[in-house]
Amino acid sequence: MRNFHFLLAAWMAVWAVFFAYELSIASRTAKLRADIERLKRQLRDG
Amino acid sequence: MKARAAITVAAAGLIFFAGYAALFIAPDEATMHEIQRVFYFHISLWTGMYTALGLAFVGNVAWLVTRQPKWDWLGVSAVEVGVVCCTGGLITGVLWGKPAWGIWWTWDARLTTCFILWLLYISYLILRGLIEEPPRRATLSAVFGIFAFLDAPLVYVSNRLWRTQHPAPVLFGGPDAGLDPRMVRVMLFCMVTVVIVTLIVLVDRYRLEGMRHELDELQLAAEAREFRLNSAPFKESL
Amino acid sequence: MTLARAAAIILTKELRLEFRARELLTITVVFALVIVVLFSFAFDPTAGESRRYGPGLLWIAFLFAGSLMLNPSFAREQSNQTLDALRMAPISPFAILAGKMLANLMFLGVAELILVPVFAVLYNISLAGIVGRLALVLLLGTVGLVVTGTVFSAVASHARMRELLLPLLLLPLLAPLLIAAVEATAALFAEQPSLDRAWLTLLAGFDIVFLTASWLLSDYLLEE
Repeated sequence: MRNFHFLLAAWMAVWAVFFAYELSIASRTAKLRADIERLKRQLRDG
Repeated sequence: MKARAAITVAAAGLIFFAGYAALFIAPDEATMHEIQRVFYFHISLWTGMYTALGLAFVGNVAWLVTRQPKWDWLGVSAVEVGVVCCTGGLITGVLWGKPAWGIWWTWDARLTTCFILWLLYISYLILRGLIEEPPRRATLSAVFGIFAFLDAPLVYVSNRLWRTQHPAPVLFGGPDAGLDPRMVRVMLFCMVTVVIVTLIVLVDRYRLEGMRHELDELQLAAEAREFRLNSAPFKESL
Repeated sequence: MTLARAAAIILTKELRLEFRARELLTITVVFALVIVVLFSFAFDPTAGESRRYGPGLLWIAFLFAGSLMLNPSFAREQSNQTLDALRMAPISPFAILAGKMLANLMFLGVAELILVPVFAVLYNISLAGIVGRLALVLLLGTVGLVVTGTVFSAVASHARMRELLLPLLLLPLLAPLLIAAVEATAALFAEQPSLDRAWLTLLAGFDIVFLTASWLLSDYLLEE
């Protein structure tokens, strides 16, 4: 398989980009959810 | 939660099979052999990008007309995801060019269009970052987004016309260059996979934006309550 | 009040403002000249090379100078919130936009009138016989630049870092205009000058698309 490493690099790069993006969304979502819960509790009890 | 998990598994399965198909099922191409298989990812990414940017346009127009925040969320999510697809498209373009033609980049019409659109939509995201108030940010970025979308075909046409006058190696002969039906099937499968994954990521980003909005509202409510509590002593003394 | 009359009044206001200080025009012309001079170090302006690189240089100079010059269009309305006063006037938002576009077109037009002969002299390009056609290309290109630039000036005026933001928003969008204008100009600078119909159509199309879009979106652009 000639040029296989380019092909592999391309395939990995594409999915790496997608996964990195998805991971960043997931972590931001988790953080936001925590903030929202905190504020909700504050408004309820405070 | 269950539905989400099921979707993720299904997406992972699609990605795996698409990769397998592209790498092993699709027949070997006569001139470029293995590296031609990047074609499946490259074109699919562009399909994902155009889908996302089309949805962004819908979001932009809908926000201006209805003023419902959810359309603004769609706008920014779709543009971000579109930029991700575009980045992938550019990377795969470069990784095709080097082994196939010996050069990292040719200013061929499609690649140049992709690059310009990338810059244009990154500017959209930068613009959003520089405006504070949400309604104004939504409106102004929607106007810019509409202009950018209208520009896209003009970019393509001008680059195409320029390329016919200044010919250069064409990286991608085009899907109509007498394709083996197996190639077409693999191509479609990869395109569908990428579009589905794009939409999944878009929905996640959309939800994130919705949560941000919810957080802002909660913060406003908390501040309003602080203000009421702190001004209570004044009311009593009156 | 008709659109034309309202736009004319805004145009007069803009012109009067500018001619009091004349700083905008001066800076634009000088900046474009600086670009033109700096480019001379990038290549040796023999006749052949000038014909090849000249059109690109000319239009890049206009685009850069223009995108800087278009900033104050709406930025200056921010300091005393004069835009609110304009909004309250019984004129359509598009009239405000159109008036400013016309003013910017005139400023840039004057700048080009000064720059093109200077450029022709510095790079040994003869303008004989092509002045009319060159004027047409310049007009179509400048209209596109001014229409989109004025709109983005309005957009950027509400954002931070507006001086950097405006070129960032404008220049990628203007890529088709740049390509078309440069190619059309190059066709005119060639040994057998000709007016390239295809590129002119693209320029005109660009202008029409974005002028229409500006008209349709003017309400949202200038809202509170």
